[in-house]
Amino acid sequence: MTPLRIVLGYVAVAMVWILVTDRLVELLALSPSSRGTAHAIKAAIYVVGTAALLYLLVRSQHVEQRVRDEALRTVLDSMPDAVLVVDRDSRVVDVNRAAVELLGARDREELLLPIRELVQRIHLRHADGRRLDLGRAAVRRVVAGQRVTGYEALIRRFDARELFISISSSPVRPHPTLPTRLAVAVVRDISEVRLFEEMREDFLATAAHEFKTPLAVVKAYAQLMHKRGQGDATALEVIARQIDRMTRMVQQLLDVSRFRVGGAELSRERFDLPGLVAEVAGVVRPDADGRRIFIAPAPPTAVLADRERIGQVVASLLENAVRFSPRGGDVEAEITRRDTEAVVSVRDHGLGIPHERQARVFERFYRAHAGTDQDYGGLGIGLDVSREIVARHGGRIWFESAPGEGSTFSFSLPLAPEEA
Amino acid sequence: MSAARHGDVLIVEDDPDLLSLVAMILRDAGYDVAAAEDGLQALARIEERMPGVILLDMRMPVMNGWEFAREYRARFARAAPIVVVTAAEDARARAQEIGADAWLEKPFDLDDVVRTVARFLGPSEAATTT
Repeated sequence: MTPLRIVLGYVAVAMVWILVTDRLVELLALSPSSRGTAHAIKAAIYVVGTAALLYLLVRSQHVEQRVRDEALRTVLDSMPDAVLVVDRDSRVVDVNRAAVELLGARDREELLLPIRELVQRIHLRHADGRRLDLGRAAVRRVVAGQRVTGYEALIRRFDARELFISISSSPVRPHPTLPTRLAVAVVRDISEVRLFEEMREDFLATAAHEFKTPLAVVKAYAQLMHKRGQGDATALEVIARQIDRMTRMVQQLLDVSRFRVGGAELSRERFDLPGLVAEVAGVVRPDADGRRIFIAPAPPTAVLADRERIGQVVASLLENAVRFSPRGGDVEAEITRRDTEAVVSVRDHGLGIPHERQARVFERFYRAHAGTDQDYGGLGIGLDVSREIVARHGGRIWFESAPGEGSTFSFSLPLAPEEA
Repeated sequence: MSAARHGDVLIVEDDPDLLSLVAMILRDAGYDVAAAEDGLQALARIEERMPGVILLDMRMPVMNGWEFAREYRARFARAAPIVVVTAAEDARARAQEIGADAWLEKPFDLDDVVRTVARFLGPSEAATTT
């Protein structure tokens, strides 16, 4: 029944009631005083009747609303993922059953806290165990009503069990009939996924580790033969160079697993960045197949960083520049200063990166040219590791690329304190 | 336990090819070399004779480098320096873990092996006489 029909039905019934009862009073031909009483009774019945009608209507509305609420609650509680609703005052105002179970709480009410308190209560930390800076963390973005997708973190449940979780959140659209809600967050237990990932990383680390002993044996024997003047000197040199290349790849595999699993410690030392770039270029040149690597003259620029790791980043960028310049062409490196940062840029005149693939370049195992006619090999981890290393130093890494014209990859590092 | 003889190297390494190669290099360089394939064998060798320096692989069957180091320090008061030879990505950290005196990262340069041993034993007699 539409509201209009109900109203029209009510009007019809009321009219009939008025007409019929008026007529009845007339027909009874009562005295004027008793006629007044009859009209009063008639009006009273009318009021009671409509009041009863109103009551039924309101009650059915109420029941309907409650059924709807319950249905919604049942759906929410049947969800396999934990749901938390946060209001404008950054308070958790609603949670579903999965949330109570996931966090190991006794009941729903235990979780209805200001988000800051809840975060402290569950010891929310970065996935690698580092303390979370609430001012900068994803929680703040959740509270600010921004969209967050798959943010991974470590928590301690109410029953002290450690758990890996993934948090996604989005703002709740304003709705006139709803109280002001800010955000709804979905939390997922990814401990098993993490466990599997860790097993894979462990395997990677073990495999890489196991490769090193045979590499050591081959390298040492090649050196021994070289020393004793046995065998073809050129052949032995190539063997030595290829062993070094393989060692670098094995090192990369180890780095991937190491950074992923829990953060390698960085050693910090003060060194000259242009000096390091020149040194690394010297190592890469023999493999550059005739392509020239130029370094633009730069004044001494000191940074406080892990020299070996930063060298690895520079090597990755230079090797990529060489690899993706199949038709030759020079590679140019440049070290500049911008405010309190030093920026290293490596420019090539090679293939460039197709526009549709640019967004994924820093992803692990992603190789922008894989599966095309122009596959130049590589493991697809150099840039992933580089990004991790640079980020841990508080720097950034980025690129500009024009397909067919070449790419420029750059990274920044904070200058050593007294330089900035 | 007989007196320690200056100039001895004990190599503890489970890969026979690597073991024989390093032994050969060090013998060529004029050092006396003893070999063990795991930590337990190494302890037995040390019981016989305390070397001047120990080249220690970390991942080994039977008794690995960590276990060996613990046992070694507990058993011998006047201990020879340990050089960790490891394929681990952070050789320095490994060395610090067991309180070793130096480290060599696999794959290593042959010259580095000789140089490192010389750091502890000095140039060998053969090297000084030839």
